[in-house]
Amino acid sequence: MTAALPVLILLTSLVPACVTFFLAQNSHALRNGPNLCGATLKLGLIVWMLFAVAGGASYEATLTLAPGLVMLLRVDALALLFISLSATLWFLTTIYAIAYFGTKAELSRFFGFFSLCVAATTGLALSGSLISFFIFFELLTLSTWPLVAHKQDKPSLSAARVYLAYALPGSAALLWAIIWLESATGPVLFTEPPDLSALDPTALRAIFALFMIGLGVKAALVPLHGWLPAAMAAPAPVSALLHAVAVVKAGAFGVVRVIYDVFGAGTVLALGVGWPLAVLASFTIIWGSLRALQQGEIKKRLAYSTVSQVSYIVLGAALASPLAMIGGLVHLIHQGLMKITLFFCAGIYDERAGVKTIVGLNGMGWRLPWTSVCFSLGAMGMIGLPPLAGFVSKFYLGLGGLEAGAPWVLGVLVASTLLNAAYFLPLLYRLWFLPADAKATGDERAPALVVPAAVTAAAALGVGLLAASPISPLGWATLIVTREYGP
Amino acid sequence: MSSFYSGSLLPLGVLVWPLLIGLVAVVPRWQAGAVRLLPFAPLPALAFALAGAPGGVTVPDLLLGVTLATVSGGALLIGMTALVWIAAGIHAALTLRAGQHSGVFAGFWCITLAGNLGVFLAGDVVTFYLAFAAVSLAAWFLVVHDRTAKALSAGKLYITLAVLGEAALLIGLMIGAAAAEDLQIASVRAALADAPLGQWGLGALVLGFGIKAGMVPLHIWLPVAHPAAPVPGSAVLSGAIVKAGLIGMVLFLPDGSGWSGVLITAGILGAFGAAIWGLTQRNPKAVLAYSTVSQMGLMLMLVGAGSGNVAFYALHHGLAKAGLFLCVGVLLAARTGRQRNATLLVAAGITLSVAGLPMTGGALAKLAAKDGLAGGLAFLVTLSGVTTTLVLGWFLLRLAQSSSQPPKGQARWPALFVNAALPGIVALALPWFLWAEVTGLAGHYALRGPNVIDTLWPVLVGLGALAIVGRLRLPDYPPGDILALAQRARQMPSPLPLSTAPPAGATRNRHRSALRALLRARYVEDMIRRWPQAGLMLFAAAGAFTAIVMLAP
Repeated sequence: MTAALPVLILLTSLVPACVTFFLAQNSHALRNGPNLCGATLKLGLIVWMLFAVAGGASYEATLTLAPGLVMLLRVDALALLFISLSATLWFLTTIYAIAYFGTKAELSRFFGFFSLCVAATTGLALSGSLISFFIFFELLTLSTWPLVAHKQDKPSLSAARVYLAYALPGSAALLWAIIWLESATGPVLFTEPPDLSALDPTALRAIFALFMIGLGVKAALVPLHGWLPAAMAAPAPVSALLHAVAVVKAGAFGVVRVIYDVFGAGTVLALGVGWPLAVLASFTIIWGSLRALQQGEIKKRLAYSTVSQVSYIVLGAALASPLAMIGGLVHLIHQGLMKITLFFCAGIYDERAGVKTIVGLNGMGWRLPWTSVCFSLGAMGMIGLPPLAGFVSKFYLGLGGLEAGAPWVLGVLVASTLLNAAYFLPLLYRLWFLPADAKATGDERAPALVVPAAVTAAAALGVGLLAASPISPLGWATLIVTREYGP
Repeated sequence: MSSFYSGSLLPLGVLVWPLLIGLVAVVPRWQAGAVRLLPFAPLPALAFALAGAPGGVTVPDLLLGVTLATVSGGALLIGMTALVWIAAGIHAALTLRAGQHSGVFAGFWCITLAGNLGVFLAGDVVTFYLAFAAVSLAAWFLVVHDRTAKALSAGKLYITLAVLGEAALLIGLMIGAAAAEDLQIASVRAALADAPLGQWGLGALVLGFGIKAGMVPLHIWLPVAHPAAPVPGSAVLSGAIVKAGLIGMVLFLPDGSGWSGVLITAGILGAFGAAIWGLTQRNPKAVLAYSTVSQMGLMLMLVGAGSGNVAFYALHHGLAKAGLFLCVGVLLAARTGRQRNATLLVAAGITLSVAGLPMTGGALAKLAAKDGLAGGLAFLVTLSGVTTTLVLGWFLLRLAQSSSQPPKGQARWPALFVNAALPGIVALALPWFLWAEVTGLAGHYALRGPNVIDTLWPVLVGLGALAIVGRLRLPDYPPGDILALAQRARQMPSPLPLSTAPPAGATRNRHRSALRALLRARYVEDMIRRWPQAGLMLFAAAGAFTAIVMLAP
């Protein structure tokens, strides 16, 4: 069982993917059934695994692809954190996507690649070695490209082109870094930090830079973030999944893995590469918020907000102090929950009321009350108001910055809070205080669209309200940091 | 598994009850009538305060570990807050028209109330921050209730300053929490005194609390928000909400820090400057707002000087100011001349109490505040009686000249009148009952000759000054002193509501550089995105960089 469980979890999304590709457009039940079952099964298996790992079990599966090239799936606390998030959100997004698309065209293709994308994310989370990580990283890029291009209109196709133009060279940089590193240290497993003494500091710094370039494309670090706002041309479930769960989080997750499991916090500090990364992340935080202010479309504004917020995770990892690490890791969960709520709501506004621009939000609060309440909760969480989730991550990041001897982090956080308030509060004002346009229509009589948004909004409130509980994401992140990386 | 909480549930109940009442406003069927429930929301808090604010509670799993405990002087402040909110709630229930807007008003009223009570009950910094955020941000809905252009622009100024205050507060609390061993307020306070960045943290806290407490020059939102808010909103703003800033200063500023001097200076400036500036206002609510700034300045000075009876003074002021604001509402609703005169009489009585006429509760409050103060500062407190009498006398004159706009129907004026008079009566009388217990001074302290003269002569001088000033032709400035002067200096238009676009040619110097920076950001990013080979060029750069590194000697 110890070897089978990780593979099983991977298969729960791979099998529906393979099956869905061969289904006809009209066989809705045959397509939705395996997808939903796969999502539910994955959730169940992960819950089982959570209890088992808490009891002291460990899971590992290896597959030899070639001599010296081993694909390793391993469950540790950090993997569990990421995979729980992705499984829960995949389940909700599947329900949302089924309701969103209804009877639109090319559904089998969409759901096939959708499940493949989740399989790639799962594999990435469970990877136990750099090579396995890279394989699933590539699979993620390749499976999300058709999702971005799904609508097949001009903006989608050009967005897909831009996506590849960024992602493929990024993957090449990542591969270069992995090969360079492993040529000196041998295969790198995340369980045991590799012996880096064979490489001199300059080479290590160059390898680190290449890693950050490769992962930074996915994690949307400036100036490698250009694909993200363009990818907003994709349908709402794609944006929700990409920007909350799969792609950007995979990049941020990779950054955390590289810093802590490959290089180690001590080496990063000794090499002095943590500070440039922290500064770049801070710049991204501010830049993303500034650009968000200038957008007139809802999804573009949310995209730039994602660029800004994911860099909190990178900042927390780069500062390399325990509290900052906790803040960054817990923001992985919190930002996922809040952002997916916002994108779900943006999709509902688009589908049910035909509203794509911020100006169109006028008066929508009273027409679509549940959606707008969820949107308001997500927005307030982004601004960082207690008791929502965003406050907890910001607080820990601030404390971590002070602990690491970087008080300027406080300035970055506060500037980001003020900018977030500046571009989210007007949306809330429009929703609730301005009268709707005379020609405005729309209702939210689509429970399958609204309930996922309500669940994630309630979760964003719950994880903030109960943050001090040992079973909350904060408690989990604290456990990870103290157990695995602490002194 | 440890239990969910430890301690008494009473403090939790005090905070949760208003939130439950607020939930009534969420149900569409009950939304229109929710405003009628408002007077009941502070009742547990009142009972809690009357019992002496017993007990605390720890809920380790909530937020980042919630601790509720009563601060020093907490029972007085919670009791005052409860009474002010009850009276204002009754006024709101009687005067606000039922409808969708009143439902929203009622809901956020309850959140603001919960936050207001929370700042006096918080034992750890996260709970304090949450309560402070609730009382600052939810009060916006009270300010913009009427939805007129004036109310919305006042709301914009209010929310801007409130958000800036929150940000400053966050910086200060994070610096304190990082240096402290746990998140309790007492630990953070001690840590701020010694931490390397402690002075920055204290500065940020003074900024954040100063905005809320109306410390000059951060007070500009007060005179703009009060005329715009409905009467019950103004009553709770001046009566109870600004005291949250005050308690923040008391809780977090260590004794003998350099910031006490800042508080004393700013306090004196506000106490005298704001009162005199109040003479330039015509709207009675604006005059009262400046009086609040003045009184808060006095209280901040007392905090800076380390006076032990600030809560006692705040108790009296909160009740009196709420009573005065409600009198404005009552006069506006009066129909006959007799009703107007009755209201003016009550207002005059409360005014004399605030001014410190001997034998009133206000005089007791002033005497208690001066106890233990250095000679110069005590004299300044006495002297402030002159300016207080002046500005509140001016308020009475303006109030007498306001025209009434009685609402159609609703012959409930007697209830409104009694409701407005009660806080005033309590303000006059309550200090007598609490005197010995709270201040520890002798019962007949206030009756001693020198003390009576000390409280009498400022009132007389003030009345004399009022007689002179009343004959002068005073200027009529819009509320917002520094803001208005700054706007005139920069030729900027006044704050616009969010729904209108700025008029053509409105780009002013102050915005131009910010706009240029933003436009440059967009241009740079478009440049990056327009390269079809953007990714390849980055890859080539990475390759070149690596080659240089590898080939370097």
